[in-house]
Amino acid sequence: MRQNRRKKKLIFFSVLAGLLLATALFAGYLCPYDPYAQDLSLAQQPPGPEHLLGTDRYGRDLLSRVLAGSTVSIYASLGLVAAVTAAGTAAGMACGWRGGWLDAVVMRAADLFLAFPSLVFALAVAGVLGGGLPNAVLALGAVGWPKFARLARGLTLAQKNSAYVMASRMSGSGGWKILIRHVLPNIAGPILVTSVLEIGTMMMELAGLSFLGLGVKPPAAEWGSMISDGRSLLQISPWMSLAPGAAIFLTVMIFNLLGDTLRDYLDPKERERNRQKKEETKR
Amino acid sequence: MKKTWTGVLLAAALAAAASGGVIKAEEETVFVYGTTGYSQEMGDAGLNPHENYSGWSAVRYGVGETLFRYSESMEMEPWLAKSYEFLDETTVEITLREGVTFSSGRAMDAQAVKECLEHLVQTHDRAPYDLMIDSIEAQGLTLTIHTQEPCPALIRYLGDPYGAIIDMEAGIQGEGGYANVAGTGPFVAESVTPTQIDLVKNENYWGGEVKTDRVTVKSFADGSALTAALQTGAIQGAYGVQYDNYALFEGNPDYAIQSCATSRCFFGQFNFDSPLMQDPNLRQAVEMGIDKEGFCAVILEGRGVPAAGAFPDSFSYGNQAVTAASYDPEGAKALLEESGWTDTDGDGYADQDGEPLTIRWLTYPTRLEQPKLAEYAQSTLKDIGIKVEVNNTSDHMTYAQQGDFDVYVSSLTTAPTGDPEYFFTSTVTGPKNYGHHQNEEVTALTETLHQTFDDGKREALAVELQQKLLDDHAYFFISHLNMGIVTKANVTGIRAYPCDYYEITADLAVE
Repeated sequence: MRQNRRKKKLIFFSVLAGLLLATALFAGYLCPYDPYAQDLSLAQQPPGPEHLLGTDRYGRDLLSRVLAGSTVSIYASLGLVAAVTAAGTAAGMACGWRGGWLDAVVMRAADLFLAFPSLVFALAVAGVLGGGLPNAVLALGAVGWPKFARLARGLTLAQKNSAYVMASRMSGSGGWKILIRHVLPNIAGPILVTSVLEIGTMMMELAGLSFLGLGVKPPAAEWGSMISDGRSLLQISPWMSLAPGAAIFLTVMIFNLLGDTLRDYLDPKERERNRQKKEETKR
Repeated sequence: MKKTWTGVLLAAALAAAASGGVIKAEEETVFVYGTTGYSQEMGDAGLNPHENYSGWSAVRYGVGETLFRYSESMEMEPWLAKSYEFLDETTVEITLREGVTFSSGRAMDAQAVKECLEHLVQTHDRAPYDLMIDSIEAQGLTLTIHTQEPCPALIRYLGDPYGAIIDMEAGIQGEGGYANVAGTGPFVAESVTPTQIDLVKNENYWGGEVKTDRVTVKSFADGSALTAALQTGAIQGAYGVQYDNYALFEGNPDYAIQSCATSRCFFGQFNFDSPLMQDPNLRQAVEMGIDKEGFCAVILEGRGVPAAGAFPDSFSYGNQAVTAASYDPEGAKALLEESGWTDTDGDGYADQDGEPLTIRWLTYPTRLEQPKLAEYAQSTLKDIGIKVEVNNTSDHMTYAQQGDFDVYVSSLTTAPTGDPEYFFTSTVTGPKNYGHHQNEEVTALTETLHQTFDDGKREALAVELQQKLLDDHAYFFISHLNMGIVTKANVTGIRAYPCDYYEITADLAVE
């Protein structure tokens, strides 16, 4: 019963996330106006039938800019999370499997990166390399991978001496083959959950860097920079910041709830409990 | 019993001391002033008038005073001086005011002024060329300045904040943004940092009673933070409030706005070292692709006036005297086509040999409307096929000095002395010519202006020079700005001046 409810929740949030991804993908077709076309005669119009979310100081339609901004904000975050997940998982698995000097060196490096508050480190990297989306992504990637490396290392260590791994070894399989074909599928669940939960965090941090002027450059539409643009007019034209702010809030919430639901759904203890309940019912 | 009495006496003494402290604190009037106009980035951090633009801070915040000052109509008025007389074309005799003392306690006499001016021309970057001082004689309160050549604008230049008179015997304490000096103004700096100046009133101020005991000047890099600080009461006055935030204070009885038109100008200079910018058609197209009217009306909320030349309408050699390219997107496109820039790949940008027409636009964030201008220009220039890459950085001076730009947009008070010469000597032929525009005729005319006494001729030269710059498409002028100070309604004695100096004075009072 509970598992069924979780499944429904998972489907519901997956659909919402899918809708977001589709919106971001087809934003160019969905925008009612050119998100970059300025018309000063329409500057700072409040939300209304013509412009559902109002206009900014340059007379640009905010709904169009929020939609156009979704492409950058969502896909940059997804790409970033995919990259740090892949890099961190590969490093963590290699460390957990090989141990020795590799484990010591990589994990100390991970400790070093984890010791910095991520946004501060990202600010320093973006400050040295300069602004712009690629540098912001690079900066956040540099501080994002250790979390996954630590997780993957721990999970790999737990699996390393399990029976199926021993059997695989005895059958003559090589280390990499065992890792990719046997260990990875068994540790993928927690990594996937962490990865989905990380989307929201990364989106917030990317938006934070853009808000501080270290992310995308004007006039590109991106939610963080849009909030920053409207900041000085928060008391006069609040919709300029509220529209992209609400977009970030909704998107982060959907990905976080999806991550939570996925975690609950994949929780092995819960699954075991459900299996036992089913058996009891049969008996 | 004895112990009881001792305790009572101690308690009474403590209570008296505490109440005394409270009364003193209540009596002390404090004014906290927020400004976006004080920072390292602006070149005016610190109070040493002999360094860069720090003299502005010395004069703005009531520490330093000059021999002459500018009136509201930019006429010269005596300040630390009483009068002057040109004995011949290269000699001027200045009579100093009696009874003026530095905050160090030393009396200000001609010898003290001589020491100060001699140090100024030894160390400052602009003053030696402006003042052309050859030698100075000091006798009592009479100062005689001999110039190397006729220097008609000498008196006006002595009103420039770098001419703030400080006690060189007391010296300059600290360096750069930490430099402190002993001036003659109504306030004395207790501490100076690149982000804050703490001032106390000069008890021995020659100009009468100083109405406020303490003033703190705080630097703000962010306009929203400045507005919020004023609204929350963290500061009681603000300079540099963003134009779009004036709506929050206008008509509000809790606040007062002092505003006036100045010669502060947003303008751009093209980089003549950039291969792209060698093309006069491209430079003219950029000028013609910027809608100054729209920018002033909407982005500046009507607090700016579209500029044609370097000087505002209030000067006889101002906007109305010159002819500049007007906003004409179609004309700009035609110019680009004439130079072989057309959109062959349909991406909206003109291109040549497969390369889109991209210009690097350098600006900085402290003048809060400049980044907005950049974003606005990005759109209007895109309409004519020019892609604009904006570099909005606090480190703009490094980029400007390295020539790492195609267009550098900055702001300058073009006539801080009420005279046109400064703009040409500082920005056209001087160290601020970052675009390295060279025109021998312009250089010669600037030199002539530097030596011309007749006001009518100076005005004619100013017009001719501006027109040559515009015809060369070396500079383009976007808007002249109104500057304003917003204060709490209970603050009096603070006002905006066209010259943009004299913010904190002895008249400042918090009621």
